[in-house]
Amino acid sequence: MDSFLFGLIAGSFVSIGAYSVLIGDNPLSKFTEHLYTGILGGYIFATNWDYIRSNCVNNIAQGQIIYVVALALSLMLLSRLKPEWVWMSRYPVALTVGVGLGLAIRTTVMAEFLSQITATVLPLTNINNLVMVIGTVTATAYFIFRTEMKGAYEYVHKTGRVFLLAAFGVTYGQTVSFRFELVIGRLVDMLRPEVIWYTALMLVLVAAGLAYGYRTGKIKWYSGR
Amino acid sequence: MSIVDKLLDMDQRIIYALMFIALAFPILFPVMLPMDIQDYSRQAFDFADGIQAGSIVIVEGGLTAATYPQGGPGLVAQIVHMLSNDVKLVFFSLGTEQNVWTATAIEAALDKLPAGVSAENGVDWVHLGYVPGQESGVAALANNIRSVLNVDYFGTPLNSITLMDGVNDATAFAAVLWWGGSEGSIPWGVRQFVTPFGIPMTGMCTTNEVPNYTPYINAGQLQGLIGGVRGSAEYEYLIKMPGPALGQAMATNFGGLLWAVLVILGNILYFVKRTQEGG
Repeated sequence: MDSFLFGLIAGSFVSIGAYSVLIGDNPLSKFTEHLYTGILGGYIFATNWDYIRSNCVNNIAQGQIIYVVALALSLMLLSRLKPEWVWMSRYPVALTVGVGLGLAIRTTVMAEFLSQITATVLPLTNINNLVMVIGTVTATAYFIFRTEMKGAYEYVHKTGRVFLLAAFGVTYGQTVSFRFELVIGRLVDMLRPEVIWYTALMLVLVAAGLAYGYRTGKIKWYSGR
Repeated sequence: MSIVDKLLDMDQRIIYALMFIALAFPILFPVMLPMDIQDYSRQAFDFADGIQAGSIVIVEGGLTAATYPQGGPGLVAQIVHMLSNDVKLVFFSLGTEQNVWTATAIEAALDKLPAGVSAENGVDWVHLGYVPGQESGVAALANNIRSVLNVDYFGTPLNSITLMDGVNDATAFAAVLWWGGSEGSIPWGVRQFVTPFGIPMTGMCTTNEVPNYTPYINAGQLQGLIGGVRGSAEYEYLIKMPGPALGQAMATNFGGLLWAVLVILGNILYFVKRTQEGG
């Protein structure tokens, strides 16, 4: 069996384990969760260490002493593992947050504010532009809080709410579609002709195992809706 | 208990089972429904198609195990498209997992390249690998690549890679192709490549993030947007390379139809019950 096929079969098994949580919390779903967390944690640590080794430790070895500062800050992050040393990790975290914030703010005014306002100033020559302008103005006006909703403002407020609800509906629909795509992505691999029989066998095994667990009371049956 | 109450109190696991069947059926028995190309996808394709031969383009590969089935086919199609047009590609990823999936997409694209297309590692494309630091990492990469990386994904020193000769900041690139998946990183590209350097950019994100990024298209900060598996399917269609995304897009349609029926049914039953109770 080549490693690719083994990967597909292992992936199918882990996916069935993870999806078994839909029937109710059970030891198999917990096992797959812990397996994923452990593997991902180890992989992230190893990849980051490889990055530090090739781009920091190697530079120090070549005489670029300034990288000692970066290495020291990286190691200080690991002090979170011991509660008494947590204070040390706050310095690199503060530096990271500060630098990140500074770099983001540098262009945020132009990218997220001025450009967006400019893009909303449109000629009212077609229905799309009209919807864009009215939607932006009324939805923004919806968040102007005042005590009385009287006169023209009441209609602006209500129109803004309609636009916001429409936007929430679109976001909800897109989110549902995204979740389908996640499942479909797994199903495509699980239902490949070379894997489908392994998937079916594992489904039967998992179903039998869970049925045994529920019948004997070793796994608690989730009776919610 | 009336039939309305029974339906409203239906065990959610029955819905999961129905959904499983609706999503699995089109995968096992492919069905094609008519599909229009969305404007944003066409804009992204047209922009990429207009990049001049010989230009160097930077590609962010942000797909993970979860999002690769959606964006992967589109990324593969775009790599084939760009290399076929003699556009040079410089890849990087902002996550450890994404890094591997970018390499997977490159490998898959190289297998699909038409005969005669040059695709030599280090000459026609280079995978810089993992860049940590999220937006700070993007900013550092845009300003000085060698301050962030010494070696590429395969451990080759950047100074010995032909394609990287004279390439050390954003000004070397004709365009940015940002395959952000669900990492939410498209604004980082806009803020660190588009706004300060004026490099044109297209994006790819998962379906749920499309509404978040459409304002960037209206503002001209994105030249186009490929959304989820449908966007990938459309890119495959536009370069006349039908692939896995097309089949997945059809499965999404079936799931969406079932979901819409359930939402409408749920609402009708809710109003029927309220009417029966005199509410």
